[in-house]
Amino acid sequence: MANARRIKFAVLGLLVCSLSAIGNISANDASPVYFAADVVPLLTKLGCNSGGCHGKASGQNGFALSLLGFEPELDYESLVNEARGRRISATAPERSLLLLKATGELPHGGGKRIDETSDDYRLLRDWIALGARPPGKNDPIVQRIELQPAHGVLRVKATQQIAVTAYLSDGTSRDITHRAVYQSNAPEIAAVDDRGLVRAVGQQGLVAVMARFGEKIATFQAAIPFSTGEDLAGESQTLAEISTRLDNLESNATISKFDKSLIRQWRQLAVAPSAEVDDATFLRRATLDICGTLPTPEETRQYVADTSHDKRRVLVDRLLERPEYASYFALKWADILQNRGAGYSTSKQRPGTTLFANWIRDSLAFNKPYDQFVAEILTATGSQNENPPTIWYRTVRTSTEYVESVSQAFLGVRVQCANCHHHPAERWSQTDYYGLAAVFSRVGRKGGFADAEVPTNEIIYLKSHGQVRHPRTGRAVPPRPLGGEELPSDSHLDPRLGLVRWMTRPDNPFFAKTMVNRMWAHFLGRGIIHPIDDSRSTNPPSNPELLDMLSQEFITSGYDIKHLIRAITGSLAYRLSSLPSAWNSEDTQSFSRFYPRRLSAEVLLDGISQALDVPTEFSSGPGKFPVGTRAIDLPDENVAAHFLDVFGRPARMSACECERVDAPSLAQALELVNSPEIQRKLTNESSFATTIAKSIQATDESAVRIYAEELFLKILARFPSANEVKTVEQFLASEPNRVEASRSLVWSLLATNEFLFNH
Amino acid sequence: MTKLVETQSISSRWFPKVQSRRQFVSLGAPVLGLSLAKLLELDAHASTGTPSSSKKSIIVFWTDGGLSQQDTYDTKPNAPSEYRGAYRSISTKVAGITLGERLIEQALVMDKLSIVRSVHHENGIHAPSAHWMLTGYFGPTLARNAPQKPSFGSVISRSLGTRRPPMPAYVSIPKAEAFGYQGAVYLGKAYNPFEVGADPNAADFKVPNLSLPQGLTARHIDARRNLLKSFDVFRGDIDRSGVLEGLDTFKSQALEMVSGDQMRDAFDLSRERDSTRDMYGRHRYGQSALLARRLIQAGARCVNINTGNWDHHNDIFKGLEDHLPPLDRAIAALVSDLDVLGMLEETIVYCVGEFGRTPRINGHSGRDHWADCFSVMLTGGGIRGGRTVGASEKWGGAVQERLVTPLDLLATIYHVLGISLDTHYEDASGRPVSIVGNGQVIRELL
Repeated sequence: MANARRIKFAVLGLLVCSLSAIGNISANDASPVYFAADVVPLLTKLGCNSGGCHGKASGQNGFALSLLGFEPELDYESLVNEARGRRISATAPERSLLLLKATGELPHGGGKRIDETSDDYRLLRDWIALGARPPGKNDPIVQRIELQPAHGVLRVKATQQIAVTAYLSDGTSRDITHRAVYQSNAPEIAAVDDRGLVRAVGQQGLVAVMARFGEKIATFQAAIPFSTGEDLAGESQTLAEISTRLDNLESNATISKFDKSLIRQWRQLAVAPSAEVDDATFLRRATLDICGTLPTPEETRQYVADTSHDKRRVLVDRLLERPEYASYFALKWADILQNRGAGYSTSKQRPGTTLFANWIRDSLAFNKPYDQFVAEILTATGSQNENPPTIWYRTVRTSTEYVESVSQAFLGVRVQCANCHHHPAERWSQTDYYGLAAVFSRVGRKGGFADAEVPTNEIIYLKSHGQVRHPRTGRAVPPRPLGGEELPSDSHLDPRLGLVRWMTRPDNPFFAKTMVNRMWAHFLGRGIIHPIDDSRSTNPPSNPELLDMLSQEFITSGYDIKHLIRAITGSLAYRLSSLPSAWNSEDTQSFSRFYPRRLSAEVLLDGISQALDVPTEFSSGPGKFPVGTRAIDLPDENVAAHFLDVFGRPARMSACECERVDAPSLAQALELVNSPEIQRKLTNESSFATTIAKSIQATDESAVRIYAEELFLKILARFPSANEVKTVEQFLASEPNRVEASRSLVWSLLATNEFLFNH
Repeated sequence: MTKLVETQSISSRWFPKVQSRRQFVSLGAPVLGLSLAKLLELDAHASTGTPSSSKKSIIVFWTDGGLSQQDTYDTKPNAPSEYRGAYRSISTKVAGITLGERLIEQALVMDKLSIVRSVHHENGIHAPSAHWMLTGYFGPTLARNAPQKPSFGSVISRSLGTRRPPMPAYVSIPKAEAFGYQGAVYLGKAYNPFEVGADPNAADFKVPNLSLPQGLTARHIDARRNLLKSFDVFRGDIDRSGVLEGLDTFKSQALEMVSGDQMRDAFDLSRERDSTRDMYGRHRYGQSALLARRLIQAGARCVNINTGNWDHHNDIFKGLEDHLPPLDRAIAALVSDLDVLGMLEETIVYCVGEFGRTPRINGHSGRDHWADCFSVMLTGGGIRGGRTVGASEKWGGAVQERLVTPLDLLATIYHVLGISLDTHYEDASGRPVSIVGNGQVIRELL
């Protein structure tokens, strides 16, 4: 079986054997035990302060710790001073409740966590015996942790021990391999045990293993190369072939630096890219991805016949100037910016959503630089009747919504966790969260329709005062961008300007990358960081170099979105066929082939309307949208259309593109197979199914060929194969009613996966 | 290896060969104590997908948000009032078993119901708890990257298939619960539930697109099906996300569903007598239960009825007044009706949520999340009625006797339905994962 490719990679010389670095770095036995740097991370490792145990807000059995140990002072208080001091016994450390419970000597709901002979036990005992010192101002703190190795290549079933070293502010370092907490971002590729042993469990690809110690995080990134042959001989031959193919690609003069970065990763993973696609497929792909629209038969004929060398580039340039480009990307941004129509009175709501949708569309059509586009939204003031970007503030209204929408949409990070506690797998604390909230604390609102549930027509202005309090300390938190410097508090300065200035600085670590990654995912079906708005040190980019180079390109171009699209669509990855080659069928992360995806709800519905020459009729509450309005042109999501709902149109409840889903369902199939809407479009007098039926006068071979070509070009945007022409011919012979025959033919082509997917 | 492929290639088209693209590398050596031969045998059995000979099926009332055990199936009449709550305990048809007074209809059929009062798991947050109860396993949380497991409905659907095509094996009324944990994950998207998508109690209740549009006949559908077969030759292996494969399955299924009357009739509640509809109660829960019974009659294997929200942190007795009587009526009517129709011996009825509620009423007259000890109700399909299993301690906060885990409940259900407890399915990494883990059948229920 082709799948049973178990081979060794020794020939590549890539393998890192289980070289253990432990022992090279030995802890200084005489060093004192610090509460924050030693004890708390151990409590984390043992699970004491996890969300299911003492870490939950209410604690467990009267003993509460801060979740995952992010508040050492509170933890010290609980351990040493609460419960009449029973938890710690300075005179007889072994009789401390902490140890008696943890060893299971006294009944403990969490069971036995440590052994009396273990290092962990000794550490806790020593800390108590040495006087249970509280966390002190001058205690050394862990400045960083380092993994050894930080990168690796593992074959399936191989293991790799990671060694973790903590570097403290007093200049010392210690081996904390057995005290760190580990987690794999892809457990189906590589698992990690609680002592830092990484094991490639079966699936191949790229994986990151996080090690956390206290609030410090580092990751080990590994590639598990794909197997390539049945046996050693076959394998080395395949590897040679892959290598030759990659060499050939790399030596091609037209190859860009982005392509080279892709090739480097393919080499590491031992995959070879698929072949480049044919013209018709590229045309369909680019037209769908840039304009959300199918190519017409005329466009396909012309493009296929065009013999110029730079026709792909010319095509992309032309597509970017079409109004559909702006419409399609405006739809995407209206999702992200939550231009929501549902929830209150549509008649009051619609003028606003329309205004905002048009503003987004115009911004894209005129290729407004991305930094300016975002700045205009985030710093918007004025009337929602006059300054459309203020309409963003209509659905985004609370501290929580400001923080989460801004961080997810523009910074690509999810900070939701830090609303209630320190983010468990990231550096974000509540201070970060509320600092960002404070940026928006002076956003004021005036006016608005009183009769709507949510005011729809407010004036957004800057108040002279406003603050956000830390939920635990109760102190006001100064405005501060995520990981940035505190913003000056001056009643004349809008802190939102400070945020935007920070965001759009060329060295901002998030802003350009998030947009680049979003656009890459749009065109290639998967982000370099995946999911696209979940950038974390524990979820690193699959190809950091590529992401960096594209971000640099984007910044240097002046945040030129169209330039970015040209760069991405001009990459080798975008030209590859979705058909797997012999050497990449398992790849789902490195873009060695085009990952097909189902057309989104709106594009699919518009595609059917276009293929059948019958527009969809959209009701606009009272009245209808003008005939010919396309789904990608609708101002908001609150336009009734069962088709769009079953195919995953998002409700715009968050800034996450993940709201749009492509999961298949029986309801979708029923919609395609049997909906009155599709039937209406097939049977309409002006339907393509009707007109093409009339166009065929005879059933001789050449007439059938012309008919079949028209059919395939219109629906699948390609010429039919000889076999397909034959099927059409046979079907026409079996169904004497031309109109009926044409409807069935058209229907069955619309129901093919080839139509339903961008491939 | 070759044999496995052959076995899979004869699978009915209703059930895609989800395993066919998996890595079999991991099968090279015995895994988890199972020999390769044994695994292949299990897998072949599991993936043939032809309707199993088992006639049994299950209807689930999912109480989204968590049903308060103390006010329903596990009353504490002698506890202080802040524990006892506002409801009286009432006696039932079975001497010695009491229920909360809002379960009066179930009290009258208590001889047919069983209650497990000692269910326990270790998470108090909605999503992870829903995952635990719906899959049997502790899964992902915000701080834990554990892979999601398939729901028991998907396991049942995959293991037994539908009882009668083209009725989908697995249906959710009106929709699957919002966390997505009623899904199939690595079993394949085709084993996700079919969502009815509408409230069966609505006057205009209709499942979209089940009736042939005007002018279209079964003959047209046949012709189109054949044409589609010739044109739809796009290689399945280009898409590894499962979307394409799932769509293929659903397209065939949809064509089959619309070519006959069976499906339309099954979803048509107006074919029931008014008195029957009244018996179930003219509300979402009642009509959903009636629809579930019709779908089982038409061949479904597992029907979820998603109820709630039961997350009553505030004013719980106000919330329960709205939700409990309809739920009580729906369950009692369904059980009685199944019994009269002779279907109860073949149909499990199971009422379960992600956890119970805190024994002590909080400062907002509500009850919070409580997974330490809570109750579920189940009956039918061979599960005996008129009994309780396990007990909570005095005021209901902890298990006193016979701790039951989520996997014990699933082991019992699978066993009763005729699914081998040895069944393993490969997860995304190709590792065989047991459907029951260390779960044990609750023998006292049989």
